[in-house]
Amino acid sequence: MTDTVLVVAESRAGHLADATREAIGVARALAAGGAVEAVALGREGTALVNELAQLGVARTFLAADPAWDEVGASAAAVAVAAAADRSGASLVVVGGTSGGRDLVGRLAVRWNAAAATGVTAAERADGGLRVRRPIFGGRATETRRLEGGRGVLSLRPHAFPVPPDAPVPAHAEPLAVEVPPAWRAAKRTGVRAAGPSSGPGLTDAAIVVSGGRGVRAPENFALIEALAAALGAAVGASRAVTDAGWRPTSFQVGQTGRAVSPQLYIAVGISGAIQHLVGMVSSRVIVAINSDASAPIFKVADYGIVGDLFQIVPALTAEVRKARGLA
Amino acid sequence: MEIVVCVKPVPEAETRLRPAAGGATLDPEAVKFVLAGYDESAVEQALLLREAVPDTKVHVVAYGPAPRTEEVLRAALALGCDRATWVEAPAQTTGDPLEAARALAAAIAGAPHDLVLCGKQAGDDEAGLVPSALGELLGVPDFELVVDLRWRAADGRFTFERTGDAGAEQWECPTPVVIGLQQAWNDPRTAKLPNILKSRKAPIAKVTAALAADAPKSRPEKFELPPPRTGAKMIEYKTPEEAAAKLVKLLREEAKVFP
Repeated sequence: MTDTVLVVAESRAGHLADATREAIGVARALAAGGAVEAVALGREGTALVNELAQLGVARTFLAADPAWDEVGASAAAVAVAAAADRSGASLVVVGGTSGGRDLVGRLAVRWNAAAATGVTAAERADGGLRVRRPIFGGRATETRRLEGGRGVLSLRPHAFPVPPDAPVPAHAEPLAVEVPPAWRAAKRTGVRAAGPSSGPGLTDAAIVVSGGRGVRAPENFALIEALAAALGAAVGASRAVTDAGWRPTSFQVGQTGRAVSPQLYIAVGISGAIQHLVGMVSSRVIVAINSDASAPIFKVADYGIVGDLFQIVPALTAEVRKARGLA
Repeated sequence: MEIVVCVKPVPEAETRLRPAAGGATLDPEAVKFVLAGYDESAVEQALLLREAVPDTKVHVVAYGPAPRTEEVLRAALALGCDRATWVEAPAQTTGDPLEAARALAAAIAGAPHDLVLCGKQAGDDEAGLVPSALGELLGVPDFELVVDLRWRAADGRFTFERTGDAGAEQWECPTPVVIGLQQAWNDPRTAKLPNILKSRKAPIAKVTAALAADAPKSRPEKFELPPPRTGAKMIEYKTPEEAAAKLVKLLREEAKVFP
């Protein structure tokens, strides 16, 4: 079965977001020879058209009204539904960004589709769509079947590879759709940009280095930060650390903090309470560094080093810098 | 102000999960269901707003089957919610969050609602579909990953911060609005014993969900537990430098995750 699949294109620093590239890969697989199209909103949309075409997107709908940059993430569902209708698509795929996920529920209702978020596998199945997604913080996986003619998927970050280039001629089409009045009454009054080690970076990052109680004092967190900087990773923390006020709550990985699923998670001085494991156990590769050989974190880790973090971490930072040509 | 809080019974965090007979879903018999995580933070937020804004009522609403849904509503009443509505689901639901959103929206639409509060996602299926679906169904804007929600009486607007992809965004908006709260930014209170006892006898309005048969839906096919992790490959070393070198080599050549 061939079909048109629509991707919601998002930009980061003027370029196509990696999350959107991953979504295009999924769209190409599910279109099974049908067209992959995209919709981009706001001022930066036009700049994405060529990069989208490079990845095989045959047509991009541009809702270029700058008002789209000023509204809440969920409002984008209004423009995406309009693009999906114009496109004739039966499936919309959104990358694993927080803004992307915000619009899925609204889009599914508005466009009369079934939906699933945080998807790690998707395939066509007898006229429907079968998806897999981790639940319970990665402690279980569910397989669901989306029924009816239409579906909306958002992906789990880093669960799919960026696809190889498959260039087609760039083709953009304006999409005249206005921000609904109810959204115009809300106003964004400021943005505090995320540093490399702050909240959103944590959820998006391909590598996370987290420190726990074993770090012993807030100033020692510099060790964690140095290792993270060498790896280009985000910094996280266990609840013991945020409860003690060594780092803000936004750093917390765990059941009461953020759930992360990076390619590589390095837990330093973290014993591995259930409350922390729930937030990181679905990471692809887990490394644990802890002085206590019986710490539960070693049961979920792929690689373990028993030792004094104050010796191991600086040595590891130096080795990483050397291996990456940074030293 | 009329606040509606949506909650969902979810398995206690330490519960051992196992598939039900047939393997399509979690076995609910083996699980203790509680008011937890994101929903506890949402109830706490509602109660904080009631303390700050005169003439505010908190109405807690849940969609789900007996008996667990009634139990979490009583837990919310024990924490101080003013009234509760139970939208009863059939014992076997599809577990589709959009089904829950439609059932909740039908109950909320007929009741006053200046603010609809949800956790950003349920602690079990982690879908996060309900807040924005509710927004569309109720015809109001919605914002997710919200912290520090406050009411500004001077001009009758909410102010809040939300975690956007580019950083922390500050917002203001009028009512009505749906808010999906980030968890763990407030410190949920615990119920006092006299209130727990009182909540056992408190009235709960019960309605039956009117679900359109033709709404697009998703159905569960399989519930799987990951294969047990076999434990870490432990790195033997004599010096920290040797440990570091061995780990980098493994990450690069075996796990292939070295940047």
